[in-house]
Amino acid sequence: MKIDTVANSGYTVVSVAGEIDMYSSPALRDTLLSLVKKKAAVVIVNLKDIKYIDSSGIATFVEALKKMMAYKGRLKIVNVPERVMEIFKFSKLDQVFDIYGSIEDAANS
Amino acid sequence: MENAVEVSNLVTYYGDRQILKGVSLSIPAGMTTVIVGRSGCGKTTLLKHLIGLIRPTSGTILIHDTDITAEGDQSQLEQYRKKMGVLFQGAALLNSMTLAENVALPLKEHTKLKAPVIDIIVRMKLDLVGLSGFGDFYPAQLSGGMKKRAGIARAMAMDPKILYFDEPSAGLDPVTAAGLDELILRLHRVFKMTVIVVTHELPSIFAIADYVVMLDNGEVVFVGNLDDFKKSEKPIVKAFLERRPEEVSYSPDNYFKIITGT
Repeated sequence: MKIDTVANSGYTVVSVAGEIDMYSSPALRDTLLSLVKKKAAVVIVNLKDIKYIDSSGIATFVEALKKMMAYKGRLKIVNVPERVMEIFKFSKLDQVFDIYGSIEDAANS
Repeated sequence: MENAVEVSNLVTYYGDRQILKGVSLSIPAGMTTVIVGRSGCGKTTLLKHLIGLIRPTSGTILIHDTDITAEGDQSQLEQYRKKMGVLFQGAALLNSMTLAENVALPLKEHTKLKAPVIDIIVRMKLDLVGLSGFGDFYPAQLSGGMKKRAGIARAMAMDPKILYFDEPSAGLDPVTAAGLDELILRLHRVFKMTVIVVTHELPSIFAIADYVVMLDNGEVVFVGNLDDFKKSEKPIVKAFLERRPEEVSYSPDNYFKIITGT
């Protein structure tokens, strides 16, 4: 798994590539929680290049979202692959996360 | 069609009794396969082999091309066990632990995930099986159907590639059993896992199977899709589907041996 973090004016984009599984998701958690610690106002997670995400990856996003909601930060997820979207829908997480089609859409919302 | 499981010439004895007599079969990946047959035909023994609980006398089992019967190196078997989940007949929950603790157990044992992440995964898994809000309950406080659902939540904890069920409907009323079948179907549809179910319940077979393996007396007597199974002209398959009892006939010599133990 590869994580690329780019700070922009008003938002930070975290692009994740590869497989997010039980063994790699702790690194993703470290990245997201470091942004939470800085009270980042808007974090956009780009899933365009992920090949696989398991429950630990989804739980990592849920934890980050919960912590950001405490200070009114926003976690937005973009480019969700169809397979992952099915799991989000099944788990009703599509109603929990702010999901957008592109980074631009998420940044402008 | 990619195969998840390749069994070649599997032979197993319990003592002097031969249970599996050279079983060879393939189980397709991403489908729901049911292993059927009458009680005592060897299907649960085959399941125990597939999950690596017992070793065969001879033969091999490849799971996604990894030989889990190979002597010596246990690491491959250990890795495989982390990628599979099993719902045992009695659900096999630890009675001294709450449901949440039961589901969290494999995550605590096999990963380095932090407690907040594990807590969320546990709630997600309990919700998947319709047990949201029951995390603090103990197994003894649940009905049979709820125990099975909790067992599925635990089997799903590590996001298995292959999910095994041993007689999931056993001991359940027909409505609860049908609900469990529906859950198996939904999990399979969403998570695209390979699902392997040992059962002899005809309604379950018709409800969930894509692919059927039938054993009789330790041998494979049918392998194919559900439609072919239903249409099969093989007498043994027809007798099973029509719930016809086996005709038992002893010769006087055999009967004498049975009652005298010789």
